[in-house]
Amino acid sequence: MTTATPHRIVVVGNGIAGLTASDSLRTAGFDGELTIIGDEYHPPYSRPALSKAALLDDGEMTSHHLPAPTHEASEILGVSASSLDTDNKVVGLADGSEVPYDALVIASGSRARRLGSGDAGEAERELTLRTLDDALVLRQRIATQPSVVVLGGGALGMEIASGCLDAGCAVTLVSSDPPLVRQLGSHLSEYFLAAARRRGLTIATSPAREVHHREAHSRVVLADGSSLEAELVISAVGDLPNTEWLQSSGLLLGAALRVDSRGRVAPDIVAAGDVAAFPTARGIRRVPLWTSAIEQSKVAALTLVRGNDAPELSFQPYFWTEQFGLSLKASGYLPLAGDPEVLEGDLREDKALLRWSHDDGTGTAVAINYRIPIPKLRRLSSALAAAVSPAA
Amino acid sequence: MKIILDRPRCEGHGLCEEAAPRLMHLDDEGELILDIEDITENDLDSAKASVRVCPVAALRLE
Ligand SMILES: Cc1cc2nc3c(=O)[nH]c(=O)nc-3n(C[C@H](O)[C@H](O)[C@H](O)COP(=O)(O)OP(=O)(O)OC[C@H]3O[C@@H](n4cnc5c(N)ncnc54)[C@H](O)[C@@H]3O)c2cc1C
Ligand code: SF4
Repeated sequence: MTTATPHRIVVVGNGIAGLTASDSLRTAGFDGELTIIGDEYHPPYSRPALSKAALLDDGEMTSHHLPAPTHEASEILGVSASSLDTDNKVVGLADGSEVPYDALVIASGSRARRLGSGDAGEAERELTLRTLDDALVLRQRIATQPSVVVLGGGALGMEIASGCLDAGCAVTLVSSDPPLVRQLGSHLSEYFLAAARRRGLTIATSPAREVHHREAHSRVVLADGSSLEAELVISAVGDLPNTEWLQSSGLLLGAALRVDSRGRVAPDIVAAGDVAAFPTARGIRRVPLWTSAIEQSKVAALTLVRGNDAPELSFQPYFWTEQFGLSLKASGYLPLAGDPEVLEGDLREDKALLRWSHDDGTGTAVAINYRIPIPKLRRLSSALAAAVSPAA
Repeated sequence: MKIILDRPRCEGHGLCEEAAPRLMHLDDEGELILDIEDITENDLDSAKASVRVCPVAALRLE
């Protein structure tokens, strides 16, 4: 059975998820009224670029630009959705106005978690990197080459540390675990760490307990009792889903917004991107990554138009990072336990194609400084170890 | 419509190929090759999808 196609679709969130959902609705034939509500003034941009090329662009920053949208939606930008009334099918906005819908796409993404309160004065002292505005501030602040402490040893913290080093700053990275170990496992963590140290990164593996801000310096106290002084503290300690505006909607489980395998929260409501927790082979979880947001959004949009005739999401994790002169692409689930099979190249020469096999029969293929089509990387990750032929 | 590659921007992610395998592919060197540049109605949706998925906006439709 197909559901009746809605006339008015409202999309909350103007990031890659909202944008892809809008494009996909049009591609699927939806020609009704489409409205996008986004609290950032900027047209959609590439967030992954913010911690990579954009930190180092000479002159004007352009690496984050995306092509202009073609979905011809009416856009309400610079104002946030503040409530959702699912009985009357109305989104309430922060300026007091209301936007009615027949069907709704929730794509409000996530925001940077911080250690401090985030009050105006403190936010200036503990920078985070999530938005274009954050990136513009960060670029300006590192231009004078201050000493930097980065809190957080995930991919984002490491990319920021790498960018600050390239900008000429002295950088110490604070991480409770060895950097990247939770994302990539110990084999690759050690490899990236060695590259980072060669480029001059100082690493402190002890959790940060407190950050004290003084006039020109901040002091970071670590759990082992030592402390670090820096002119600039940047934290990259994870993200939190933007679900506050859904508080009284009855859709949340705690702070979590769960969707089914077609992105559905309710019959006329779908969600996609960093905000949504969806069923994966490793349980229901958020996977706050670029291709995850895009894949989810396509399925969710199609579901609004075709109902159960839309295909279910067949999620295949894809992750990449660029830091310390290394580029990594990974297809398959992370982190990676143990040592890999080397399919081609050699990590000691900083160019390799690697594969890990997991207990559940799946695999993860990783390319380091190795240009390879994603479809091929995906094939390598799913192929049986013995049957792998990288030249195929 | 024509699909245009800004080659210096392209980082060889190959996500575009996954979205539109008929229109483009990465060669053995990891260089993106546009197999079809003049986009007809039939290929428009996949062309748009490939432009959208590229995280560095190396592709555009004109
Ligand atoms: C610096 C950085 C580097 C990254 N690097 C990589 C990478 O290398 N590889 C990778 O795969 N992924 C990376 N990611 C993750 C990737 O960028 C995200 O997964 C992706 O952008 C998520 O898109 P989204 O549309 O779901 O959410 P978002 O991009 O967060 O978009 C949501 C939008 O909705 C707006 N919004 C929120 N609440 C409301 C409201 N109530 N009303 C109206 N609007 C609202 C937000 O302001 C935002 O504009 C990176 C992220 C960051 C921050
Ligand atoms: S997705 Fe973009 S960066 Fe990647 S190969 Fe295609 S054009 Fe190049």
